[in-house]
Amino acid sequence: MDPTTLIGPSSPLGYPAPYWFLITFKVLGFTLHMVPMHIWYAGVLLAMLLQWRGGEVGRQLSRRLMRPMPILIALGINFGIVPLLFTQVAYYKVFYPATILMAWPWVSIIVLLTLAYYGVYIYVAGLRTEGATIARWRQAVGWVTAAFFLLIGFFFSNAFSLMTNVRAWPDLWLRKSIGGAPLGTALNTEDPTLWPRWLMMFSLALTTTAVFIIVDAEWFAPQERPNYRAAARRAALMISTIGVIGFATTGSWYVFGTWPAELRESMFRGPLRALTGLTAISPGIPWLLILWQWRKGGTRARAVATAVAQVLVLAFNAISRQIVQNAELGQFLDVTVEPVRLQWSPLILFLLLFAIGLGVVAWMLRRLKAIRTSESG
Amino acid sequence: MHYPWWYVPFLTSPMLIAIISVLHVLVAHYAVGGGLFLAVETQYAYRYNHREYLAYLKEHAWFFILITVVYGAITGVGIWWTIGVASPLATQTLIHIFVFGWAMEYVFFVLEIVSAFIFYYFWGRLDPKTHVRIGWIYAGSAWMSLVLITGITAFMLNSGQWPEERTFWAGFLNPQFVPQVFARTGGAFLLASLYVYLHATFKAKDPALRDLIAARSARPALLGALLIILGGIGWYLALPESAKAALIAASTLNILVVLIFAVTIAVFFMLYLGPYRNPGWLSPGFAILFFTFGLVAITTGEYIREAVRKPYIIYNVVLGNQVYAEKVPELRRTGYLEGGTWTKAWVAHHYPQVLNNDRIDPAQLLALPEEDQVKLGEVLFLYHCNDCHAGRRGFSAVAQLIRGWTPDMVRTVVEHPEKAHFFMPPWAGTPEEAELLTKYLLRIAHPRPAGMYFGEEK
Ligand code: HEC
Repeated sequence: MDPTTLIGPSSPLGYPAPYWFLITFKVLGFTLHMVPMHIWYAGVLLAMLLQWRGGEVGRQLSRRLMRPMPILIALGINFGIVPLLFTQVAYYKVFYPATILMAWPWVSIIVLLTLAYYGVYIYVAGLRTEGATIARWRQAVGWVTAAFFLLIGFFFSNAFSLMTNVRAWPDLWLRKSIGGAPLGTALNTEDPTLWPRWLMMFSLALTTTAVFIIVDAEWFAPQERPNYRAAARRAALMISTIGVIGFATTGSWYVFGTWPAELRESMFRGPLRALTGLTAISPGIPWLLILWQWRKGGTRARAVATAVAQVLVLAFNAISRQIVQNAELGQFLDVTVEPVRLQWSPLILFLLLFAIGLGVVAWMLRRLKAIRTSESG
Repeated sequence: MHYPWWYVPFLTSPMLIAIISVLHVLVAHYAVGGGLFLAVETQYAYRYNHREYLAYLKEHAWFFILITVVYGAITGVGIWWTIGVASPLATQTLIHIFVFGWAMEYVFFVLEIVSAFIFYYFWGRLDPKTHVRIGWIYAGSAWMSLVLITGITAFMLNSGQWPEERTFWAGFLNPQFVPQVFARTGGAFLLASLYVYLHATFKAKDPALRDLIAARSARPALLGALLIILGGIGWYLALPESAKAALIAASTLNILVVLIFAVTIAVFFMLYLGPYRNPGWLSPGFAILFFTFGLVAITTGEYIREAVRKPYIIYNVVLGNQVYAEKVPELRRTGYLEGGTWTKAWVAHHYPQVLNNDRIDPAQLLALPEEDQVKLGEVLFLYHCNDCHAGRRGFSAVAQLIRGWTPDMVRTVVEHPEKAHFFMPPWAGTPEEAELLTKYLLRIAHPRPAGMYFGEEK
């Protein structure tokens, strides 16, 4: 079966905004989503490991990782809405079929996420009431939560790799359907890109979590004992090192072991070569900054520089992913050529509200800063 | 049908949307009304320097965050998940019309979540004026997100001028918009008070404080009940003919409408006589009863709202079986299997012999062996009917509905489902395809129950 016959017709409504606008928000939204998402994706598991085998400072670090988790999860889910929305606007022809083929795992994300989120709250409630010695059952909840997050990530990797792996659709469909209607139980596990993609995201998540530890230690941990910050830097360096090695390994596996030759050629040609190179080596920059702070000591400014560098790493990653996504889809469809019926007034209203919204958020955060200065002064 | 149809045994996949939507609205209304409650009451407690009330409100804010920020937010995202897989064409259409509506709503989500966390986590550290302001930022954003999403859901029930004008605003400012904003705002007020009662009877220990809460929260609840009734009347008046007819024709819906009005009125009087006039009556039992009433009213309201939309997902635009209403005549000419991306691929893969110049030849379908005709009948059933009917058993199972029918009766309904019941979509295939579906239905139909006696022919 020719897989392109499974791609439906274009929407008669056209895109509500030019493609570049949709894709800008998709990539920007995904970059922002990755920041908090990485911290819970790798952070919960790390916190459990540190609580289990971390010694005193390790447990301290574990607590500091877990305490802000409820807020990070709320923000991460919230930031995820934007890329998902724009994915559906611009990639509807492949997004819906892929998620329908794996509907049960896809929908189960909602259940897993609800349980994991409450799991985090249960654990954090224990931190508040039980302090350093968390009850056994809460620790068990923490481990299950960490596992759920990994599973959710796995399902996401499946959905987004299946979206471009149109070639696999016919077989998955014919094998798992009744009267032409998919059962929704497929997974994209036969796609060789799935595994390195999933592991690569986890490695990158480790590096983001390491940066978070640095920022947290410099900015939010003044009341911890003085040796804490040094220990946090050491831990961050270790975590970041593992993350960078993991990223290099899985990234090479992904690019050299699973990409078709044409894709590799196109990503290594002309100006894209610079982007591919930056995406590959940029995680080394925050790593070097962490190494430097481990040796020379940290300051608030250094922590901020590390965070900025990490956000750039994630942005390069998101842009490269976007280009690869379009290249992979290129053999089946071109998402950039849909007709556009620009919705001027809602678009402008949205941008206006967006600006006002940012202003209000800034106002609220300034109030918080005012308390901090008045409390410390 | 541009997409594969997800087969969910017994329930049918759109029922998953219904389930998760109900689970969501039960909390979503509280997320709006509870925000107003916290803003207004915190302001009040600060003004009279009521420390105990402030302490209670802080505790309530924590409960509020656990319920709305976690459960409310995830089930909201969950609706996205399920509509995408169980109703893809309608979702695609809504997204292309309203993406900026959702983007605007998103801005308010961000404000909600930031303000909610600041409101709770910086309790006692913010000066009262700022604290209350943050509460109002939350309440205002939450209500705006209600307004924005209501414009979109109301559009599905009555698309108004959109089919002619095809603009964002023609869709957003549809006839159902204002009535539904009223009804939902009322629902938010009422439900929030019921959550407050439930929480307060367990958590507010001091009887005087409990009485204060009971009396103060009775007012928005009474106002909410009024708004629901007003909005409900407006909702009814702005319904398309077909939805009104469905409401009147279907006995269950009829009963439900009476039920929802009765429950709302009962809650109104109970609120008036109870917490408003005699705050001391408020006990855990009373609060649980109230709360249950509220959940029942909201659940039935949502159920009716969904049910009367049939045969459309989006009135006059997208049909329940995921085809555009305007495409029906063309599908009747060229065939339902030919018109669907995945059904066409299925036929081409399994029965290449029926293709003629790369198009499905309807006459050839009837030349297939009997078993294959039945199999294709099943494909037609799943893609044309399974969004409302399970097959052999389950939700509105068609094999049960046609129990004991003659082949002609089945054929008549298949050829003119919209005439058998106006809330079914019209047959959108060729006569030959109707024959295939009839064969399939006769194959799965349960036999007439045995042992029924009607006298004997002499
Ligand atoms: C938009 C939803 C919807 C779709 C799609 C739909 N139906 Fe129905 N159908 C209904 C409803 C609602 C009823 C009433 C069910 C009841 O009374 O329990 C009904 C009733 C029926 C009945 C019983 C009729 C009677 O006289 O009692 C049959 C037979 C039937 N449908 C067959 C079909 C077939 C065949 C298809 C596909 C071609 C189909 N339906 C598609 C909603 C739908």
